[in-house]
Amino acid sequence: MEFTSILFYVFALYFIGSAVLMVTSRNTIKAAMFLILSFFSVASLWVLLEAEFLAITLILVYVGAVMVLFLFVIKMLDIDKSTVRAKFTKYLPLGIVVSVVVISQMVLILSAGHFDLDNSIGPVRKAADFSNISQLANDLYTLYVYPFELAAVLLLTAIIAAITLVHRKESRSKRQNIAEQVNVQVADRVRLVSASSSKSKESK
Amino acid sequence: MIVLSDYLILSAIVFCIGLAGIFINRTNIIMLLMCVELILAAVNTNFIAFSYFGSDIAGQIFVFFILTVAAAEVSIGLAILTLVYRNRGSIDVDVTNSLKG
Amino acid sequence: MENAYLTIVLAPLIGSIIVGLAGNRLGRTLSHSITILGVFVSTVLALYVFNFHVLQDGAVFNQNIYTWMQVGGLNISIGFLIDNLTSVMLVVVSFVSLMVHIYTIGYMHDDDGYTKFFSYISLFTFAMFMLVMSNNFMQLFFGWEAVGLVSYLLIGFWHSKESAIEASLKAFLVNRVGDFGFLLGIAVLLMFFGTLDYADTFAMVGQVSGQTIFGGVSVITVICLLLFVGAMGKSAQVPLHVWLPGSMEGPTPISALIHAATMVTAGIFMVSRMSPIFEFSDVALTVVMVVGAITALSMGLLGIVQNDIKRIVAYSTLSQLGYMTVALGVSAYSVAIFHLMTHAFFKALLFLAAGSVIVALHHEQDIRQMGALRKKMPITYITSLVGTLALIGFPGFAGFYSKDMIIEAVHFSSLPFSEWAYYAVVGGVFITAFYSLRMFFIVFHGESRVDPHTEQHLHETAPSITVPLILLAIPSVVIGYFTIEPMLFAGWLENSIYIDDSVHESMQSLKHHFHSAFSLITHSVATAPFWMMVGGGVAAWVFSLYRTDWAAAIQKRFHRINYVLESLYGFDRLNEIVFVRGSRKLGDFLWRISDMAIIDQFVVNGSARLMRFMGSVIRPVQTGYLYHYAFFMIIGLMLVLTWVLVAGENPLLFLGS
Repeated sequence: MEFTSILFYVFALYFIGSAVLMVTSRNTIKAAMFLILSFFSVASLWVLLEAEFLAITLILVYVGAVMVLFLFVIKMLDIDKSTVRAKFTKYLPLGIVVSVVVISQMVLILSAGHFDLDNSIGPVRKAADFSNISQLANDLYTLYVYPFELAAVLLLTAIIAAITLVHRKESRSKRQNIAEQVNVQVADRVRLVSASSSKSKESK
Repeated sequence: MIVLSDYLILSAIVFCIGLAGIFINRTNIIMLLMCVELILAAVNTNFIAFSYFGSDIAGQIFVFFILTVAAAEVSIGLAILTLVYRNRGSIDVDVTNSLKG
Repeated sequence: MENAYLTIVLAPLIGSIIVGLAGNRLGRTLSHSITILGVFVSTVLALYVFNFHVLQDGAVFNQNIYTWMQVGGLNISIGFLIDNLTSVMLVVVSFVSLMVHIYTIGYMHDDDGYTKFFSYISLFTFAMFMLVMSNNFMQLFFGWEAVGLVSYLLIGFWHSKESAIEASLKAFLVNRVGDFGFLLGIAVLLMFFGTLDYADTFAMVGQVSGQTIFGGVSVITVICLLLFVGAMGKSAQVPLHVWLPGSMEGPTPISALIHAATMVTAGIFMVSRMSPIFEFSDVALTVVMVVGAITALSMGLLGIVQNDIKRIVAYSTLSQLGYMTVALGVSAYSVAIFHLMTHAFFKALLFLAAGSVIVALHHEQDIRQMGALRKKMPITYITSLVGTLALIGFPGFAGFYSKDMIIEAVHFSSLPFSEWAYYAVVGGVFITAFYSLRMFFIVFHGESRVDPHTEQHLHETAPSITVPLILLAIPSVVIGYFTIEPMLFAGWLENSIYIDDSVHESMQSLKHHFHSAFSLITHSVATAPFWMMVGGGVAAWVFSLYRTDWAAAIQKRFHRINYVLESLYGFDRLNEIVFVRGSRKLGDFLWRISDMAIIDQFVVNGSARLMRFMGSVIRPVQTGYLYHYAFFMIIGLMLVLTWVLVAGENPLLFLGS
């Protein structure tokens, strides 16, 4: 067995293990910690796949920012542990059944043969000083520059949205009440008045 | 020799664990969001695997964007969660069924 | 010359607009001066145009002044066709209009809507000019509708009088029925001729005359009949005559102007103008003749039993319009125009004289409250006498020539039913003489039945009323004598009217038998109409002056006929039962069933209810619980995977290879 294969299996085991532990834990903080562990194993797998930049980005962005955010919110909100526990065991069997079914289906499909995966593609290993970043940057800033800009705008939107949502100041909005408008009656809008025509002096 | 299908199977397994997690932890919104993160991690692994074995950098570019979007999504999701907690007093999923038809 | 034509048309319009918009500020004197000046200018120019075209044989003017629109190959424009027919009509219309304008100064003196009235009658004059001078069907239709509109406005001039409003609406609606037929006729014409221009249409009649429509009916016949429906509405032929007696609710000047001399003659003018088309359809001409004969006879009979002075003259108008129509039917178009011209003068005169009497008696219109007015109102008396003699066809006066020519023309016609039409028009002479002289004797002779209080102040009316009477009386006497020969036989109207002499020989026979205008007078004693007239006159004298109680006795004896006549042959009742109530029932049905039940309940509310029902079926799927949604997604994924695995020959499986 090659060294990389051993590494693969180890990291894969960590990944799956921490995932299972995360899903089955009752304590939300523990679940967050297990998720962080699974991210670390994912990052290692990505390094194996020669995507170094993204592996580091995963750690920095995901673990460093997103999971910290999670932990903030978990700590901020009060979670009732009892209700979590009560409903947990109720759905466990069904969940296991469904996931086993789906996993087996996927494995059946994805294993060699259907997609002829083993024979077709082979990895191209690159030199040790090959720069993954420059390879990414080459395509990102030329071919995919529009999605790049859009992603930036998306982040801007997310910032604004998040702030607007949680902002505590009252907003004065003029809203239409459609139901009220549709239910209007004739008497509310029209008033019939009878007017007399001008009197003309008949010379009779 | 690790082939592509190994990575795909790994990614599929973790994906389904995430699904099961959603299924099991249905009452806890934070757990739901974290399971979604797990699913996204599995999918990202899938993309990176294809990028490596297919010698196409586009897979990594896509992961780049998925990371961006996931970060944005998490922040807004947590903001909504905070609001729900502020208005309802708990994050029990049972109280958030006002979209019931 | 083009400027002259434009001025003729625009002078009354400008007068009408100025007075209409600023009348109250300008004051009465200035208002009537402006409008009278406008119409006076038109009259003078009309005489000049008449001189140029008719007396000096000027060239026919046919030009488009302004292109209104072009749709595909169709060119609709404002244009003038000035030939001899137009010139004659211009003179008649403008002169009568001028007389009515002057008359109104005295008649509407006490009325609040003085300036508005002048504006309206000037507007009417403009519309009539446009109708007469047009060179295409669209402009004709515009003038047609416009005169109908102004007629509506004027009949309902005293809008606080309920009967006036009803009458104006009736006039407009009945006119509309005629206009509908007219428009259909224009549409069929457009369909087969492809153009709305007179000159182009007349040139193409020969080509189109062979074509048929609706499986075998000649196109020309259909067009002519539909156009005649329009003429029936406008010129008040049976059965679209019901509006004319009601139109007497309007002030007397407009009865003279619109419902005697001008608007009602628009139909006659139109058929004459379309003579190149009508000549190709014997069926249409026969229909025209028969309808005219029916109108001439039946309306005259109704005039006998009326007691309102204006209604008698109204039924007289209806009867005379029938005469003109009969003349058109026998292809004696120039005779019809001749009668139109003479009738315009003496009928306007009679109406204005009636108005003079009404004003003098402080708006009393029932002839049973009049009598022996000849001493107190000499000018009115003499002019009325002139008008009445012209109307009954006393030898020498204008009406004598025109009526006699019509009767002769019918006599020489070879159309089917022309025999019957001949008897109808000859009998009509008796009836005309009877009711005209009855009215004359009862109003001006005999013992006075006038209210004593009014009688004290009774005197001749103001000069502004009597001068037009005199000015109208003069043509009523002389114009027949002087114009009969040139108009009918020497070809005044030759370049406007086309007669197919091979089939319709009335005019030729007339020409053959005609010697001179004077000889007509001397030979008249040998003709049937003369003795009919005498008989009618004698009968009128007997019943009105000699033995007045005989009239009541006969009415009682023949009470059924009397009932039929007094209820106007039941046309009004028929219209009310069939059309008015029918329309209301239809409207009711459409409202209740169509609108409320079907559209509101079934379609609108029904579709809403259907949507709600479908929604209620689908809604329970939205449970509101997030995990349910996730679960459905997972189940879906599972199903897709199963499908991929299980289904053989699945295209998804070929992607990799």
